[in-house]
Amino acid sequence: MNAKRILLIVPLILGAVLIQSYFWVPSYETQARGNPQRLFKFIEASIGDAKILNPILHADTASGRIVDLVFDGLLDYDENLVLRPALAVAWAVSEYVYLLPNPDVRLPGGGTADAANIAAVVSAALATGQWSDLRESVSDVEVMAPMRHVEHIVDSSNDTGRIDDVVLQMPAQVRLSLDRVRPDIGARLRSVLGEDYFRTPQYLQWVVEANGVDSQRLQSHLSEMLPLIQHNPLIVFQLRRGVRFHDGHEFDAGDVKFTYDAIMDPKNLSPRTSDFEPVKAVNVVDRYTVEVVYKRLFSPAVNAWTMGILPEHLLNRSAQELEIERRGLSAVTREAFGLRDSEFNRAPVGTGSFAFVEWQSDEVIQLRANERYWDGAPQFENYYFRILPDPLTQEVEFRTGAIDIYRPEPHQIARYKQESAYQSFSGLGRNYTYIGYNNRKPLFSDPQVRKALSMAINIDDIIHYVLYGEGEAITGPYPKTTPWYDHDIAALGYDPDTALRLLQEAGWQHNADGWLEKDGREFEFNLITNNGNLVRKAVLTIAQDAWRKIGIKCTTQVFEWAVFLKDFINPGAFDAVILGWSMGADADLYQLWHSSESGFGQLNFVGYNNADADNLIERIRREYDTDEQQRLAHRLHRQIAEDQPYTFLYAKSATTVLDKKIAMRNAVGQFVSIPPTKSGDTFYYFNRWRKLEHALQ
Amino acid sequence: MGSYLIRNFLQRCVLLIVVSMISHAVILLAPGEPSEVDPSNPRMKPEDIAKIRAAFHLDDPLHVQYVYWMRDMVSGELTSFKDGQPVLPKIWSRFLNSLPLFVCATLIVWTLSFPVGIRAAVTRGSLYDRSTTFIAYGLISIPGFFLSYLFILWIVEGFNVPVIGMATFGMQDAHWLYRGMDQLWHLVIPSVMSALAGVAILSRYVRSQMLEVIGQDYIRTARAKGLDPDSVIYRHALRNALLPFVTMFGLMLPGLIGGSVIIEQIFAWPGIGRLGYDAILARDFPVILTINFIAAALTLAGTFLSDILYAVVDPRIRLQ
Amino acid sequence: MAKHAVESVSPVPEYRAWKTFLDDRLALAGVIVLVLLVFAALAGKFLTDWFVVFDPSVVRLADKFLPPLSVPSEFVAPADIPWFGMYLLGTDELGRDVFARMLQGSMVSLSIGIVAVALAVSIGVTLGGIAGYFGDRRLGFISVDSLIMRFTDVMLCFPTFFLILTVIALLPSSIYNIMIVIGVTGWMGTARFVRAEFLSLREQDFIVSATALGLPNWRIILLHMLPNAMVPVLVSATISVATAILTESALSFLGFGVQPPAATWGNILADGKGFIFDAPWLFFIPGFAILLVVLAFNLVGEGMREAMNPRLRPR
Repeated sequence: MNAKRILLIVPLILGAVLIQSYFWVPSYETQARGNPQRLFKFIEASIGDAKILNPILHADTASGRIVDLVFDGLLDYDENLVLRPALAVAWAVSEYVYLLPNPDVRLPGGGTADAANIAAVVSAALATGQWSDLRESVSDVEVMAPMRHVEHIVDSSNDTGRIDDVVLQMPAQVRLSLDRVRPDIGARLRSVLGEDYFRTPQYLQWVVEANGVDSQRLQSHLSEMLPLIQHNPLIVFQLRRGVRFHDGHEFDAGDVKFTYDAIMDPKNLSPRTSDFEPVKAVNVVDRYTVEVVYKRLFSPAVNAWTMGILPEHLLNRSAQELEIERRGLSAVTREAFGLRDSEFNRAPVGTGSFAFVEWQSDEVIQLRANERYWDGAPQFENYYFRILPDPLTQEVEFRTGAIDIYRPEPHQIARYKQESAYQSFSGLGRNYTYIGYNNRKPLFSDPQVRKALSMAINIDDIIHYVLYGEGEAITGPYPKTTPWYDHDIAALGYDPDTALRLLQEAGWQHNADGWLEKDGREFEFNLITNNGNLVRKAVLTIAQDAWRKIGIKCTTQVFEWAVFLKDFINPGAFDAVILGWSMGADADLYQLWHSSESGFGQLNFVGYNNADADNLIERIRREYDTDEQQRLAHRLHRQIAEDQPYTFLYAKSATTVLDKKIAMRNAVGQFVSIPPTKSGDTFYYFNRWRKLEHALQ
Repeated sequence: MGSYLIRNFLQRCVLLIVVSMISHAVILLAPGEPSEVDPSNPRMKPEDIAKIRAAFHLDDPLHVQYVYWMRDMVSGELTSFKDGQPVLPKIWSRFLNSLPLFVCATLIVWTLSFPVGIRAAVTRGSLYDRSTTFIAYGLISIPGFFLSYLFILWIVEGFNVPVIGMATFGMQDAHWLYRGMDQLWHLVIPSVMSALAGVAILSRYVRSQMLEVIGQDYIRTARAKGLDPDSVIYRHALRNALLPFVTMFGLMLPGLIGGSVIIEQIFAWPGIGRLGYDAILARDFPVILTINFIAAALTLAGTFLSDILYAVVDPRIRLQ
Repeated sequence: MAKHAVESVSPVPEYRAWKTFLDDRLALAGVIVLVLLVFAALAGKFLTDWFVVFDPSVVRLADKFLPPLSVPSEFVAPADIPWFGMYLLGTDELGRDVFARMLQGSMVSLSIGIVAVALAVSIGVTLGGIAGYFGDRRLGFISVDSLIMRFTDVMLCFPTFFLILTVIALLPSSIYNIMIVIGVTGWMGTARFVRAEFLSLREQDFIVSATALGLPNWRIILLHMLPNAMVPVLVSATISVATAILTESALSFLGFGVQPPAATWGNILADGKGFIFDAPWLFFIPGFAILLVVLAFNLVGEGMREAMNPRLRPR
């Protein structure tokens, strides 16, 4: 029958048409089938979309990933996390030292401590044998012209935050030019200029207009802001010539200056402001030379120049005017218009190895290779950043060849390492997890007790069971991949017997119930962490159990992040806490460990306070010589490890899995498998990656 | 008939406005703020929040907000909170993505259900009938996403072939034939997944309709006349059994919007359901409200259409 | 499917209905499953909450992702070793016993389904009853009947799942909100049916005479009309429970379900989906459990409907 036949044939045809499409689709093994261009595309996936593609404004990892490809910094980290040239071909660090006259005191020679006399004394010291070792470094001693100076004083007595401008007429100062930074120059000057010189001068004599600021506050503020000896380190960057932005415009010193100005412009609300706060001025010397003057000795500041450089010609005032005009914005918007409002952030132009093509919100960001890249054009022609919020979807796409890279969860890593169709890379991140003890509490004030608490915990077990072996034990406050970490420091190790002995030495004895007790008080405290982190929760129970075994009563609590910070961490109202840090690549630990940073809401919330450590921390900040810095950092590491203000638990390693068919082109043009890097950065050689039709044997 | 249609149409318009008012009130009165003005967002200053709230009219009385929304929607000026893009073009482009999925699923449902259901009715009580009945219940009872993931697991592990999205990512520069076939393949799994429950329900319905018609006197008469059984079933019975299905075309309309949130979510299909889901997560009120409004409009249009169709195909029914 | 179900049912002599139902082996199997489920739910409530034999919240990090029937490792504290000395259904990403979680979840899932449908049925019967019985009274310019029925029409215009999603996403997530929202969006079919039933019952002789006798309205409604309308409503309610359980699992999948640590089958399944490659049992066990129970509800419901419907009975 006709109807009957139609009823049968139609679904059969429909089914056949649909099913046959299967035979056209590329599978994981045959990704180039009907699509040879696939080998020149690199596809990555992210849980979340990027927010703002601007190197000075972004604060999320997704944006960071794109920004790193589209923009270059003046400097860059090499595979050992040491700075190397990028947009700057070379950089030299020198310094100016300014000496303030102190008219009320006399110099050893008998003259008043004014500029001319100071300069004479210093020059004399250089000429005689006293400063012979400095003769090489000090290139010039000058008396500067007197100048007007305006100081902004924030009124901190109430909440208004009123700023008063105080005008000073500064007398002539002496400037020493040094070809490298000498943090010790102050001490050396002491012997030349005499102790008297270092008496705090009467600043009020130079004040022209006080604008109602009372003199006592003025004096204390100025003595801090205008010290007698002021170090002004100086970095001179030689810029790379002939580098072009993706739109063809040439990169030059103006762009560097513009980028700095944009960061410091309060209208732009840049999260990088604090990195550049120590900068006094950025001067364009010539088209390819930039000079950065710093307010004080602060060696980590140079790391900030790894940040991407913006194109001035697209974002300066006249370009912004054009954009406002084109978009027909209202007068109110026009007034407040800043970098954050610019459409540039959705279509960035940089000098990086990849140029921006397109951004479809919540779908994909597409980049293409920058053929004129100064370090050689990338092998991949296209780069796609897909937004796939569901991790399972990402995994499915990865296993079918629609994504080239996958970042497996800890429990999946072992499985991926076994599968021969993929290649995997593990690297320690720059983060670590710890148990922090509130050092202010009498219970935890004894380093031996803290040591005992650490020794009672089997960190290897935590790494094995909680992290599936994807992590390493650490002994101190620096990331293991940086040169600052001292690998010679031995771990405390899991040793409950010694732990118990240490506690007994500190006066703790088991009571009838089996708990440790001292002066009638049981060893009891509360361990807290934030909600939403399963690994930390796991550590919580493991630590609790470990301490119970040696007779320590530990209760645990988990709080929502906001509450956790507000009620416990910021006011320092906790006993012990499990948290983690994500560290930078520099050696500066001031915010985390200096005793002055233990106030409300500051990061040294455990209240670590050790004068030796403070001293080391300060010296590291002032030290510009990397080797010396490393020695100091190792000493600091040892000091903190001995004090055990934290139980340093582990650094998690991050594993990435790549399609096995991706290989690296080496210097002679052959494809070889991608080597692991010391810093753990899988993407270090990304520019030389390519996908091959078949995996290398 | 004409006056009935006009009256009915106007009634539905009033209904639509009431529905839109209620959904507007429900959504705006529910707790939670759009992420753009969330006071717990540390990066937002109170002044900025106040500025954005004012721009979104969030502090106006409810009825004023409703009027703003309606005015902007009708004039096409309504923009999303999230990215400031106009809402209607956004919904339209997502709708175009959902459309092939809907069409393909509908084709599968309607072409498969009839042969399956008819045969079940004709062979009532047979092994075939009982097993299709059981399978149909199984398909109705299985959580859709569970079944979808089972399929995905099978295809990904068994064939290493992509199933997520509207096309294999990275095929942008491939030959058009490969591209087309690839897109077709990506349509297959999600549309089969969203069709299965429909096939189960519709084939059961076909079966019961057929059973009802087969039990009628005129069919018995036709059989008694000695007509070929196939002819009786497919010519006489089927035609009469088909009547009620015509009206179901109208009732399919709302499925264009509401029915696909989960499937689109699983297969990362950038369709309208996912747009709605994302808008809900971000509390993007203009988008949520507009999708709700369109869905309600389609529901009303659907029942209206089905009333008319019924009157058109069944001469016994007169609309008044 | 529930909507047309209600409308095609009409009363059948009771004994014949029973006989048909008992002849339907699938429906009988469904009944058995449901009885077992109720038993499991009660046992689950009892054994996981009051007299803790199976503790679903014990975290054993050393025993993560163990497949069904595996034995605990040596690192597990003696107090945490599960009953039977093994993990009957394996463990999840925190080393929790899946069997204990499923047991605890059975009560929650079942009660979500039943409470939501009970709510929908009571709203539906109340509104439908009022519209059917007091429909011709007027409230100003509009009769009670049109008021209620227009409201029903309005509710029918909402895309149900999208509405549930919106409201659940905006409300703080809790098991009660989920029950309420599913209930509040699912009463329209019942209301329409009860109204129609009441309208026709009102004209029947025994009601007319009861009214003539001056019986109070509540007596007429509760004792004479409701029982006559209730049986088909219950049939469709059975199927609605199945739908509600599915809706709960769909909400869980989209991340709006009952929040952990409370276990429902839906959120065990939704969480398990993330481990589909690594620990498939976390996905298969709740998935098939839901399939089985929903199937049982559907089969029982369909069986009851067939038993009530004279036209579909075998000749």
